[in-house]
Amino acid sequence: MGPRNIIVAVALAIALAAGVFVAARNEAPVTLTSALALPVPKPVPAFSLLNQDGEPVDQSVFEGQWDLVFFGFTHCPDICPTTLQVLAAAKKALAEQGLETLPRIVLVSVDPERDSPEVLGQYIDYFGDGNLGLTGTLEEIRKLTGGLGIFFEKHAGDGENYSVDHSAAVLVIDPDGGFHSLFSGPHVVDNFVHDLPILMGDR
Amino acid sequence: MRLAVILLATTLVACGTPEPPLVISALEVTKPVPGRDMSAGFFVLTNNTDAVISITAVSSPQFARVEIHETTLTEGVSRMREIDALEVPARGSVVLERGGKHLMLMQAREIGDVVTLQFVSGDAPVLSVDYVFPKDN
Repeated sequence: MGPRNIIVAVALAIALAAGVFVAARNEAPVTLTSALALPVPKPVPAFSLLNQDGEPVDQSVFEGQWDLVFFGFTHCPDICPTTLQVLAAAKKALAEQGLETLPRIVLVSVDPERDSPEVLGQYIDYFGDGNLGLTGTLEEIRKLTGGLGIFFEKHAGDGENYSVDHSAAVLVIDPDGGFHSLFSGPHVVDNFVHDLPILMGDR
Repeated sequence: MRLAVILLATTLVACGTPEPPLVISALEVTKPVPGRDMSAGFFVLTNNTDAVISITAVSSPQFARVEIHETTLTEGVSRMREIDALEVPARGSVVLERGGKHLMLMQAREIGDVVTLQFVSGDAPVLSVDYVFPKDN
């Protein structure tokens, strides 16, 4: 083999290695299947609400852990329990996969009229340990939802029998209390299991 | 004579198992979340007749109130509305599922292992079915 051929062979080897490297990078599971990440996390707006134990909490409640935040109400028989079941199942699957840091599930009530801290606590406990429920005055809830682009509106019914229209998105809040990313509905366990490790690793 | 007996037997077999007009499948009733008194019902209704069957009401001895609802997800917003009737198309099916049409079962009375659902079309009862909660639920 002459010097020219050696150069060609080395160049080919480098090109091949580079190609394999690029291919391997492309194959790595870095592509989100469902979630949308904000270019820069947006701080959660200031608010004053109550947790399920009736204790006052503010925006700092979102600091220190990853949170999956859903906006719903306990008198909702379909979407709300289904979403909370999906989040609980995703959390369980991530734990089984060995993910060290698991996100907390948070339900913010959009129906404070009926969702007292006690009612909310009983409800979220059903979907697993360590969940957080937030309720309070409509005005304070709107400070939080408004700042995060979440819509809700009471739909008139007779007496106690009314429904609340609400955004179906699940928001991901990072440990600095920043609105980091979101999942739009309808929610599927696999989407969370796939995307959350990517989102939580990307800080 | 033998031929007549065979023919008669064939006819009896054909007539002996008439297709039920309305069949329910994939039935699931959720258990009320602790502290709540409501459940949801999901199933598929299949109409084996040549005419539309309109379910105008559903009742259950285990719930004081049962409504037919539909959840829609439009532009990211989930909305739930009562619908007047569940139209089961001729020779077709209607699907009640999470995030779509469903039964809203409210004001639960004492609930044991079984929930009975009674479907009414106009004034006529058309179907009654028992749902047994799975043991591990």
